[in-house]
Amino acid sequence: MWDSRKNLAQVAPAGVVAAGGPGSDGGAGASAAVARRRSGLGARLGRLFEDYGMALVFAGICVLFTIWTKGLFIRPDNIVNVLRQISINACIATGMTFVIITGGVDLSVGSVLAVVGIVTAKLLTRLPGLMPVLPAIILSCLVGLMMGGVMGSVNGFTITRFRVPPFVSTLAMMTAARGVAFLLSDGRPVWNLPLQFNFIGRGYVLDKVFGPWVPMPVVIMVVVMATAHVILTRTQIGRYVYAVGGNEEAARLSGINVARVKMFAYSLSGVTAALGGIILISRLASGQPGAGESYELYAIAATVLGGTSMSGGKGTMVGTAIGALIMGVLNNGLNLAGVESYSQNVILGAVILGAVLIDRLRKGA
Amino acid sequence: MVRRRHGWSRILVLLTDLAVMAVLVAGTGALAAAPAPAKRRIAASLLTSKHGFYQELEDGLVAEGRKYGFELDITYAEFDAAKQARQIEDLIARKPDALIISPCDSTAIGESIVKANKASIPVFTVDIANRSGYGSVVSHIASDNFEGGRLAGQLMAKALGGTGKVIIINHPSITSVMDRVSGFREYLEQYPGIQIVADIPAWGQRSRATAIMEDVLMMMPYIDGVFGINDDSALGALQAIEAARVKRRIVVVGYDGTPEAVKAIRASKIYGDVVQYPRQIGVLAIQAIRDHFNGLPVKPYIAVGVGIVTADSLGGP
Repeated sequence: MWDSRKNLAQVAPAGVVAAGGPGSDGGAGASAAVARRRSGLGARLGRLFEDYGMALVFAGICVLFTIWTKGLFIRPDNIVNVLRQISINACIATGMTFVIITGGVDLSVGSVLAVVGIVTAKLLTRLPGLMPVLPAIILSCLVGLMMGGVMGSVNGFTITRFRVPPFVSTLAMMTAARGVAFLLSDGRPVWNLPLQFNFIGRGYVLDKVFGPWVPMPVVIMVVVMATAHVILTRTQIGRYVYAVGGNEEAARLSGINVARVKMFAYSLSGVTAALGGIILISRLASGQPGAGESYELYAIAATVLGGTSMSGGKGTMVGTAIGALIMGVLNNGLNLAGVESYSQNVILGAVILGAVLIDRLRKGA
Repeated sequence: MVRRRHGWSRILVLLTDLAVMAVLVAGTGALAAAPAPAKRRIAASLLTSKHGFYQELEDGLVAEGRKYGFELDITYAEFDAAKQARQIEDLIARKPDALIISPCDSTAIGESIVKANKASIPVFTVDIANRSGYGSVVSHIASDNFEGGRLAGQLMAKALGGTGKVIIINHPSITSVMDRVSGFREYLEQYPGIQIVADIPAWGQRSRATAIMEDVLMMMPYIDGVFGINDDSALGALQAIEAARVKRRIVVVGYDGTPEAVKAIRASKIYGDVVQYPRQIGVLAIQAIRDHFNGLPVKPYIAVGVGIVTADSLGGP
């Protein structure tokens, strides 16, 4: 295998390289150059803001809520709650980040989550009669994850092979898969899951040592996001993901198999949605055909809040993690502060818009 | 003179009109009578196909409808008021003999009911009422949700021994739930020791109820009771209580008595549930329609009774 970065530098226009560097933020890089021309404290603050803008917003929100709730928000048990509450969205947003960096979008994640939830729940109610519980749980989860991957790759296939726009293709999958979830479950929740399965969504790691402080879904989330971060920044396929999103034509000309990269992104999105589904059914102790409705929007919001550009080519896992945290902290903090839920939605919408505006300003547009 | 002639001509016109109408009525009557009596067709636009409650209600409609040889055309609006409006237009175009609606939105539904009225199709509402002030409905068939709310309050008061702090996990904007909550609040007014300290919407969804309950346990660790306006709300809250390993007893009261909730009641995780009889709503709706077809008087509101389920009433495990 040839070194993609070197070849890209030779073949592709400069823009692709700027956007395609591992973990680099193409837009911020350009405006950083502008900032460098300014001098003094203002410039330094400006640069700090460019690099850590969303993290600062996140920190600000946390401080605000800590004061507003008189310290309740910052209590360790509440932090554990927030992390557990965001774990599903963060998993879904991980796959979504890959897809959006390639310049696409995946609207089907919520429905994929529901189908996988139903299938896994059904297996979980049937298999333990045929084999020991632990292998039954592992097998059910593996089948669920594979289903997610297959559904994601169907998205990838229609998008790359027939050039259906991602929005349309995944919209179709979203609608069809939702129907499948209801067909498979006959519209009823699937419950009576084995008790041991509770661990995935409700258990704590090393419970006996630490007590209830390290929820399993949080561990899953951290592992998934860390792995995704490594893939995105340290592997060839990760660099290709940026290259395809930055300038698809240039990526193609430089010898990247664009279709394969996209297939990878959509399949991954399917798998992470499936993982979200498995965590959810364990958390709720039942598979629900209506589960995951509008989760795609939360995942997109988290991704965009994290600075990933909807036009593709840039974005980081760290950003998405911060985006998911902002969403979770807002939900939890507003609840704790006793803000009623209609206003909560208004505030959430305003923050998403505000964050994107900040992103625009940051890019100097 | 002029005036008088005018009067005569008016009467003449009226008479001709009556004659024409009589002929028409006789004609259609003859047409209708000539072949074997056509099957009565009943169209329905139900709230959803996804909830156990509506599935049972539908079972009731279908089974009872079959008894009288009615032909049922059932559609589902799936909580989408705009979709329901279009759906009802299409149903009206097919000219059914009666229309059953469970409105997605108690106010928005008025316009659709007016359209059915204009087409002279009798309208019956099930479960959720028309509160728009427009349109006329022959009869509304629903659980007595206010009474159900009172029963939930009774369960809560009994379980708490008359004192404690309670929250409601609500689903605003649905009339049946609003009735439940007012019944619950009204019943508990007689217990000054019981305070309702929060009323939070989870929109009837289990995942939301879980997240909200986690936050509530953080914010008000002192609460003694939770009333979930449906079983998903109650079970969602229960999940959060279990995950948080709350040592104190928190009384959970649910609504609907789904199999999953009944299991939790048997295990004494949920104290009790108010149960509705959705199948009975379907059956009574069809009977009301049958009576209406037969020219019998139909009550404008038919209240279907509610009951309670507790570990005691289930007779132990």
